[in-house]
Amino acid sequence: MKRIKEGKISEMSAKKKILYVQTSGVDTPERLYAPFILSATAAAMGLDATVYFVIKGITVVKKGAAENVKIGQFPTLRQVMDQAIKAGVKFAVCEQSCMLMDIPRGEFIPEAKVVGAATLNDLTLDADAVLCF
Amino acid sequence: MPQEVKPDRTLDALGLFCPEPVFRVRMELDEMKIGEVLEVLADDPAAEEDIKSLCKRLEQEILNLSKEGNILRFVIKKVK
Repeated sequence: MKRIKEGKISEMSAKKKILYVQTSGVDTPERLYAPFILSATAAAMGLDATVYFVIKGITVVKKGAAENVKIGQFPTLRQVMDQAIKAGVKFAVCEQSCMLMDIPRGEFIPEAKVVGAATLNDLTLDADAVLCF
Repeated sequence: MPQEVKPDRTLDALGLFCPEPVFRVRMELDEMKIGEVLEVLADDPAAEEDIKSLCKRLEQEILNLSKEGNILRFVIKKVK
């Protein structure tokens, strides 16, 4: 997919916000596609979309992990992740989960920003809808 | 009703599945000027409701939606 041009369509003055929380990790690959496909679609619909990776979910945005996930005829997880990135979806990674799963900060893809617990609470309160996977 | 408006461009989304038709429509709309009309052809059954939702969210106007067999034909006007 080509990059969806930011702001070319004058969207509703205050964009609706949607938050996807990914708690599943690379050990359950069938649970990993939906947040990327949904969030990329949300961005195309003019919504402000964020995916928050927490607990095992952080393994999905570890460098090189998504490239190794592929199910059946589906593209690799990396391909759908890239589609979401191009559409303008934001990625956040739970800092405490990094310690829990023993993954150092520097091991994530550059688009995934490591943030704290207050940020997840804040994103949840600010969102118009939250979906968990 | 302007059902016979001549489209300025056509998007052939035949054979594409969710969510690709939605992405393609968005990209076409991004490249269009206000007032231009887009014709979309799709045969993904999910596209009917998906493209309606997309246009509702983006506040774009669906001038017409018709079906011939399993082929959907949307006529969408970029209004903003």
